[in-house]
Amino acid sequence: MTTVEHVVAATDERAPHRRWWTIWIGALAVGLLIGFGSFVYQWSNGLGVTGLSNTITWGLYIVAFMFLVGVSAGGLIVVAGAELVGSHRFAHLNRLAVVCSVAAVATAAGTILPDLGRPQMAWKMLAQPNITSPLVWDMMVLFIYLAIGLIDLWILTRVPVSAKALRIMAIVSLPVAILVHSVTAWIFGLLVARPFWNTPILAPLFISSALVSGTALVLVTAWVVERVTDFVVGAEVFEGLRKLLVWFIAADAFLLFTEVMTTFVSGEPDHREQLDILLTGRLAPVFWSEIILGLALPALILILPRTRARIGWLVTAGILLLMGVFAKRINILLAAEFEPLVGLAPGIPGGRPGQEFRPDEVYIPTWVELGVLVGMAAFFLAIVTLGVQRTVLPHQDDTEGA
Amino acid sequence: VPEATRFQADDKVSPIEALPAASRVHGAIDIRSEEPRWGMAVDVERCIGCWSCAVICKSENAVPLGMWWNRILTEGEALDIPEMDEFGQLHMQWVPLACQHCEDAPCQKVCPTSATWTDDEGLVLVNQDDCIGCRYCMAACPYGVRVFNWGEAEYPVPEGTGMVQARPVGTVEKCTMCVHRLAEDQVPSCVWSCPAQARVFGDLNAPDSRLVQMLQTRNPEVLLEEKGTHPKVSYLQPRRRRPIIVPGEAGDEDGGGS
Repeated sequence: MTTVEHVVAATDERAPHRRWWTIWIGALAVGLLIGFGSFVYQWSNGLGVTGLSNTITWGLYIVAFMFLVGVSAGGLIVVAGAELVGSHRFAHLNRLAVVCSVAAVATAAGTILPDLGRPQMAWKMLAQPNITSPLVWDMMVLFIYLAIGLIDLWILTRVPVSAKALRIMAIVSLPVAILVHSVTAWIFGLLVARPFWNTPILAPLFISSALVSGTALVLVTAWVVERVTDFVVGAEVFEGLRKLLVWFIAADAFLLFTEVMTTFVSGEPDHREQLDILLTGRLAPVFWSEIILGLALPALILILPRTRARIGWLVTAGILLLMGVFAKRINILLAAEFEPLVGLAPGIPGGRPGQEFRPDEVYIPTWVELGVLVGMAAFFLAIVTLGVQRTVLPHQDDTEGA
Repeated sequence: VPEATRFQADDKVSPIEALPAASRVHGAIDIRSEEPRWGMAVDVERCIGCWSCAVICKSENAVPLGMWWNRILTEGEALDIPEMDEFGQLHMQWVPLACQHCEDAPCQKVCPTSATWTDDEGLVLVNQDDCIGCRYCMAACPYGVRVFNWGEAEYPVPEGTGMVQARPVGTVEKCTMCVHRLAEDQVPSCVWSCPAQARVFGDLNAPDSRLVQMLQTRNPEVLLEEKGTHPKVSYLQPRRRRPIIVPGEAGDEDGGGS
């Protein structure tokens, strides 16, 4: 295991770290095995082993997909955003942030596979793409985005780093990133059948949520890497990320508020009915947790003088924000599915023998879905780990050249 | 390609050939123009909510247990609870619902592999070979008429039913307007089997077809017209209410129903 030795040498010479490293790699391997096993089990038995139905046709996998596409925004903010405004404050976080982005996009693309009824047929999307399908658009922009991330990473690991190349990549990647989040929103937002999704605010809302969760992910990951390796982030960088987060949260909260306000007051019935599932209906616990624990509380932590100077609080806020955005994805996805437009009795076919109709639809993810999700998380963390050991640590003393 | 990707009866023997002449005449399509565009009207006034069409659809099309291509929705609270109208009179009404074969089908637009397509005669069909099972079409359908094969199909009899091939696990399916019967010049099973003759099937491009006549003389409505999908299935609205009179209740004075 030369790679392990290489990393251990690169991270720290002390023995305890070596033991933690072994445990970490072991945990990732177990996670990947669980995910792979669940996926294979589901593949051979059909999607009936999930909690999905003809009413709730998309569930946890699509939530994870939306979430992962969102958190991929972090790399762009740090590299392209800072580059375009001429700030080099986050320069030494470049590689770490891009690694997070690449891992998130790769995992997001992977999350689509277990959601397919016939993963073995996925190649047909490439072989005979239907150009009017937003899913095809999203596949294309995700591939481009992944390519941009990998090119960014390649540039960032040259010595010296070419500032000109970075700047060109920043200009190229910004519109692509806006497209990635917009097109992911349009998968849902362009459907006439789902009034709650069918709103122009959805793409901006996806962008703002992506900015919040992407920055939060970079903050949390940077903190973890700083703790477990000799990589130094520095208080100034965390302070910069905090400021960014405050602005992003404000934008996100504002867009969410406009959406809720517009629907709540003007009250187009179909749209309102689906919103009410969040405000007072069966998703209300998740929705209000999202607002209070996932938005308001972290915002307070990041603003109040007592908490904002402490790194522990910043990381807590980052984790809360990530959970909040995950909850938001759940809410957006399920609210539109729980109330079909034609909702007369007896409802939509249940889909399984003995379940002809299920008028009171519930969605409880099964252990298979959770298993696949564990695998996805392990896959994501494995790429981050690999990226940190291969690109972040060996190059941590490099600076941008002319 | 259209012919090849159509639903094939394959090794199954068409029961239509075995039908007595009288049945074949009863089930024959009345007029077929040069370029037919198939449509259907459901006479809400005649529908008695018996589910015959829903059941024969399952049998005809090998629709497994737990799945329905065609089902009968009840306006009101539940299957068998009548609603009170504004005059205090009870009435019941049904909405037999299957694929609306939209002219501007949202499901077709979003299908990433073009597995959902519209044939030359206006039928929205699913090519099972191309379906990857992403269920995007199910999210896109405003009517909720598509069903997914969540696992191995089960039938009430072990050998299965149906005049068409069963669909593979992991694919989406829905009403085909019995495209295999149309090829034999026979109307869809649900039309043929309706005991109240509430369904009218025909060629929208043939001005003399019974369907076009009905659409012109009766009051047709389409479901969710505001969604702009332009369904080829219409619902002929009742010309008068036929309320169920509860003896001794108020509301008798207008003489309705007597």
